[in-house]
Amino acid sequence: MAFAAQQFTGLRFPPLSSSQLSKPLSSKQQTQRSNYVPIVSAVAISNAQTKERLKLKDLFEEAYERCRTAPMQGVSFTTDDFHAALHKYDFNFDIGTKVKGTVFCADANGALVDITAKSSAYLAVEEACIHRLKHVEEAGIVPGLREEFIIIGENKANDSLVVSLRSIQYDLAWERCRQLQAEDAVLKGKIVGANKGGVFALVEGIRGFVPFSLISAKATAEELLGKELPLKILEVDKEQSKLVLSNRKAMADSQVQLGIGSVVTGTVQSLKPYGAFVDIGGINGLLHVSQISHDRISDIATVLQPGDTLKVMILSHNLKKGQVSLCTKKLEPTPGDMIRDPKLVFEKAEEMAQTFRQRIAQAEAMALADMQNFRPESGLTLSSEGILGPFTAVSSA
Amino acid sequence: MTRRYWNINLEEMMEAGVHFGHGTRKWNPRMAPYISAKRKGIHITNLTRTARFLSEACDLVFDAASRGKQFLIVGTKNKVADSVARAAIKARCHYVNKKWLGGMSTNWSTTETRLHKFRDLRTEQKTGGLNHFPKRDAVMLKRQLSHLQTYLGGIKYMTGLPDIVIIVDQHEEYTALRECITLGIPTICLIDTNCDPDLADISIPANDDAIASIRLILNKLVFAICEGRSSYLRNT
Repeated sequence: MAFAAQQFTGLRFPPLSSSQLSKPLSSKQQTQRSNYVPIVSAVAISNAQTKERLKLKDLFEEAYERCRTAPMQGVSFTTDDFHAALHKYDFNFDIGTKVKGTVFCADANGALVDITAKSSAYLAVEEACIHRLKHVEEAGIVPGLREEFIIIGENKANDSLVVSLRSIQYDLAWERCRQLQAEDAVLKGKIVGANKGGVFALVEGIRGFVPFSLISAKATAEELLGKELPLKILEVDKEQSKLVLSNRKAMADSQVQLGIGSVVTGTVQSLKPYGAFVDIGGINGLLHVSQISHDRISDIATVLQPGDTLKVMILSHNLKKGQVSLCTKKLEPTPGDMIRDPKLVFEKAEEMAQTFRQRIAQAEAMALADMQNFRPESGLTLSSEGILGPFTAVSSA
Repeated sequence: MTRRYWNINLEEMMEAGVHFGHGTRKWNPRMAPYISAKRKGIHITNLTRTARFLSEACDLVFDAASRGKQFLIVGTKNKVADSVARAAIKARCHYVNKKWLGGMSTNWSTTETRLHKFRDLRTEQKTGGLNHFPKRDAVMLKRQLSHLQTYLGGIKYMTGLPDIVIIVDQHEEYTALRECITLGIPTICLIDTNCDPDLADISIPANDDAIASIRLILNKLVFAICEGRSSYLRNT
């Protein structure tokens, strides 16, 4: 029964008794508004529901009339307040502006950010972070997060803006790299790619270049791929997107504790005509052919082979270049042992080093004692080379 | 009819961005009385009119709720879907936040059949009657149930046509609006600068794109409904 009445309401019957048209047509707007009068037929008018609805409609009409005739009733502010506030809440949504926004919806492809603009802004997952992500949650974008974004474009179709976090993060990362370079700190970087001249390492989210010459461990690019190396920043240039890192410098610093004269075990990495490169604890030191043994060596390959383990003594190291000079000559119990019996040298290495150090200390003490004993009145001094010479006002000790 | 003070604050509205309209080229000239200025290529709606209409709408809604009327909130844009659902659950009224199926109210008899089926499926699931079916049938019924849940989930307790319908975006929900007009159901609609203000009964000029502005207006209306409902419960 109820359905029948409802079917009739949609039909265009001339109204037998319609509340709206029977009202006096006070203004033109009323006729415009009642273009689609809910037509009710005689049968339906008795239906209680439609009557209720018509009553409600009446109320709404009255309310609208009230709004028209008394426009400021119930409003707590005036038009002037509104205009003044407009100036206060001025907006600027050009490309490149930073805006503060709140994330209110996040899914796999991106997130919706509410900035006080016409429409909400979209943050794609590629723009959320420097590293590549699958879901915006990994970057920490959850609904409710309030952060600064940068506008990178706009979508004309639905008046929305496209924002990104990446540019801001890039700026921050370059700043950090600059600071780290000033502090000369060591960072861990993962090798992600290779080039003809070196490898690429990921540091603070930025790809930096490490030339082969500055990598201490002798390994090819394929072996290094995916490994983590300690690196130091050599050069930072944001405008040209250049970031050069060095592995050797970082390793050299970590091995500073190896004092001169200490003995370490090393593996021969490669042979050169002038000597051998021995890898001690990560850094390569050069064992010059003259420092291998007291006797003359014509062919290094007879004495050393790549892969040999041997004990070497550190002669000197150059921190800046990250180079270490090694020697085995001093570790020979009898000169020429390296060639004849490397194993003996290996075993006696510690003793020899000890003796060597003692001899050095003795020589130094003697030189000092001579300095003190020697009377300055005689007009002769013992210079650092041990040569007697005239006593000059500027004593060269 | 009672007139109350609804705290419609100018700062609140401006922070939510209620005053932004669409671009200048996309306006509807019928909105001319509600537009106050043009700035940087977009229209600015006059917030005094917004406040007036909003307070009037709140009064009407309060009145209707205190007499025990049924409400329906329609908002199908995926951005506002969960806001609409939350607001409607808070106010204990029906809502449509997925697609408005054509004929949902004009073809109410069919919709009612579907709602009955939905109700039966739910009771069956609760009592565990689905386990008596073979596995294939059970899976099909579960799929039907989830389908009905997404589209009719908000109106599952509706027994007849609603008394007042609140529509969030006129452009998106044009079908719903037209259905309510043919049936004679009074409507409250959020209007933007590219919409027609004469279609709905009370049209509130506001920003329909920004989620903050929609949330603000819905919150005010929902607050009024809750107040009205509590006074209805007190009186009966």
